[in-house]
Amino acid sequence: MTATVQNATVQKKICVLGGFGVGKTSLVKRYVQSIFSETYLTTVGVKIDKKTVNLSDRIVHLILWDVAGEDDISSLRMSYLRGSAGYVLVADGTRRSTLEVALSLRQRVSADCGPLPFVLLLNKNDLKEQWAIRDAELDDLRQNGWWARSSSARTGEGVEDAFKDLAARVAH
Amino acid sequence: MSTSAATLEWLFRPPPSDAGIDRKALAGLLVELARNVEPEFCVQSTGVPPVDPRLEQLRTLLLGREIEIMSRLSELVEDPERLAVAVGQVLPTAIAHASSDARLGQVLAPALERATQSSIRSDPRTLVNILHPLIVPAIRKSIGEAIDKTFQSLNESLKHSLTWRGLRWRCEAWRTGTPFAEVVLKHTLVYQVEHIFLIHRHTGLLISHVAAEDAASQDPQLVSSMLIAIQDFVRDSFSGVEQQGLDTLRLGELRLWSEPGPFATLVAVIRGNPPEELHETLRSALSQIHAERHQALESFDGDSSAFADVEAHLTECAALRQRARQPARASFPWLVAVIGLVLLGLAGAAGWRWWQNERIDAAEQRRWAGAIARLRTEPGIVITEAARQGGAFVVSGLRDPLAIEPETVLREAGIDTNRLVLRWAPYEGLDPEFVLKRLKTSLEPPPGVTLAVEDGRVVATGSAPARWLERARLAARLLPAGSPGLDLNGVENTDEAATAKLLQATKSLRETIQSREIHFDSNESLPAAGQDAILDQLARELKELASLASTMRVPARVTLTGHSDDVGRGTLNLSLSLARSGAVLALLKKRGVDPDLLSVRGAGPLEPLNAEGSVTARSANRRVSFTVGTEEQQ
Repeated sequence: MTATVQNATVQKKICVLGGFGVGKTSLVKRYVQSIFSETYLTTVGVKIDKKTVNLSDRIVHLILWDVAGEDDISSLRMSYLRGSAGYVLVADGTRRSTLEVALSLRQRVSADCGPLPFVLLLNKNDLKEQWAIRDAELDDLRQNGWWARSSSARTGEGVEDAFKDLAARVAH
Repeated sequence: MSTSAATLEWLFRPPPSDAGIDRKALAGLLVELARNVEPEFCVQSTGVPPVDPRLEQLRTLLLGREIEIMSRLSELVEDPERLAVAVGQVLPTAIAHASSDARLGQVLAPALERATQSSIRSDPRTLVNILHPLIVPAIRKSIGEAIDKTFQSLNESLKHSLTWRGLRWRCEAWRTGTPFAEVVLKHTLVYQVEHIFLIHRHTGLLISHVAAEDAASQDPQLVSSMLIAIQDFVRDSFSGVEQQGLDTLRLGELRLWSEPGPFATLVAVIRGNPPEELHETLRSALSQIHAERHQALESFDGDSSAFADVEAHLTECAALRQRARQPARASFPWLVAVIGLVLLGLAGAAGWRWWQNERIDAAEQRRWAGAIARLRTEPGIVITEAARQGGAFVVSGLRDPLAIEPETVLREAGIDTNRLVLRWAPYEGLDPEFVLKRLKTSLEPPPGVTLAVEDGRVVATGSAPARWLERARLAARLLPAGSPGLDLNGVENTDEAATAKLLQATKSLRETIQSREIHFDSNESLPAAGQDAILDQLARELKELASLASTMRVPARVTLTGHSDDVGRGTLNLSLSLARSGAVLALLKKRGVDPDLLSVRGAGPLEPLNAEGSVTARSANRRVSFTVGTEEQQ
């Protein structure tokens, strides 16, 4: 018999949320450990990945629930959010509407699960010429205490930082 | 200030309503205070008056509020009604505060038990209503599992009840006194628990995972979360009850059994065919874990290091298996095998012989049935009984003498005619073929007539004399009822035809003859020149007429009428006309015409062809004409 649970580690459930086509699945794809195919997203509506973050004092396994992207907030399966320690909000920096979806998602989650730690990633920052979010807006969000950053699935910019920050916050 | 011992005495003696004040000490204290203010003040402590209103005033001044509160409190405490109201207001809060104290439960338990008992006694329905939502799903599940278990054992019992192994297990059941179904299950359910996951229900995080030695799987943390996600998915999609979820998943020979607990779900991945009791084993492991680690499970936040001890329970579950029995090669029972083979050989030989006999018998039976069936199709044969009696084939029935010889048919069908016993009673069949045969024999149709069967009737065609037709009609009328019937419409009556032909011929001959005329020169009694050819022709025609008339058996008569023109005297003309017809008669007689056929008359000029009186008309009028009289006209 082999026990696979290690002692110096902690697991946390993290939801990855965002509007349709913001690229959250591809954003995390290269940085996570995954055994399930993306068809789970369209069939079951959720796909589980794992991101292990090494903090100074412990190892945090972030169990990522990549919930199928829907622009219609009401159709979000709230049962998938149950028990989350935190969440990753993803918006598409080239489409303003997706940021609004992300904001309303945050409100919905706050209403249902209380104030959970979260990070906001504005994806596709490699498409600078189509960028639709002003830096000032991002700054405003940060002033409100948000951890917000632009990211790129192509370059990986922002992704590791976001997981690290989130891991540090949920593990305490 | 004067005082007396009596007043002090009173002061020392406390009033019944005012307990607890040491009045003597108080008085002493007051005297001491007075002495401090005025050193000359000297008074015996006994000199305090019994009722000193000032003292009371002082007391009120100092303790007035407390006295008031005290009196309110004492009223409250002493009045049970008011006390109950007051306690009731704080009781929930008090219990909430005390709930962390284990003693509260202990203290309340007996009272609650008694209360529950009396509640059930007074109206059990209340409790039933309360427990219904909890108990019913549990009962349903339990019954479901019991039924599954029964079915499983029934299935297995049926599957194995008639095999050699089954017999052995029956022996074992009989020997050990256990039900057969249980023995079967024990031997047939081969399974192995490969993985056990203990998953936190709320977060889907893995609490603990144990795998069997040779089991492979993906990252258990991911798997456990996905399992919970799928359960959520099913519950959301098909609006299941919160407490229920997927309890069984099956993929080929892998099964996933999920046992939900209040805080954690136990998922077992099982390869093979597990018995239903395994549910119970898993459930009891889960309840034990819940009992031991209730608090830790409830507050689980992703740190599973505290659950190291849980592994022991899971390991126990993961060790569960039932291996397939390997056939014991070493102790192969040779003797049994040899005896078995010999018996098998004997049985085989006997079986072969029996089978051969059966086969021959069956072939003969088939041939016999075929022959009888063929015989039945033959017209004019009615089989009333066909059976094999001993070695003989017995056939009895009715047979039309015109029918085929039954023996021939049976011989052709391969039946040994030596073993045949045939009993036929004669009868007249109404099959069209037989009717035809019979009619042919009895009617002897003339060469021009053909008799044949057409649409179930006997139809005669061709031509026949009237006499034969008459006979045939009579025969047709005499045919028995229900027989095919004889159709004679297609037969031409040759006699009638001939008569008609003769009549026609006679008619045309008469017309020809009547159109003939023999012409004469004026005042001559012999025909004019050139009339010979007409006379020759006429003679031939008259002879033909005579022959026709004789054939038709009718008398024929040809009248020769002599005519004259109207020149000259009447009597002369009359005799001339008669002489002319006589001359023609003579000339015809000379040409071979039977004179009996002919008669003569003289018409003189009275029947002229043309009454114009011209030369041409007169010439035409000088003639002999012919009138043919037959029976028809008489």
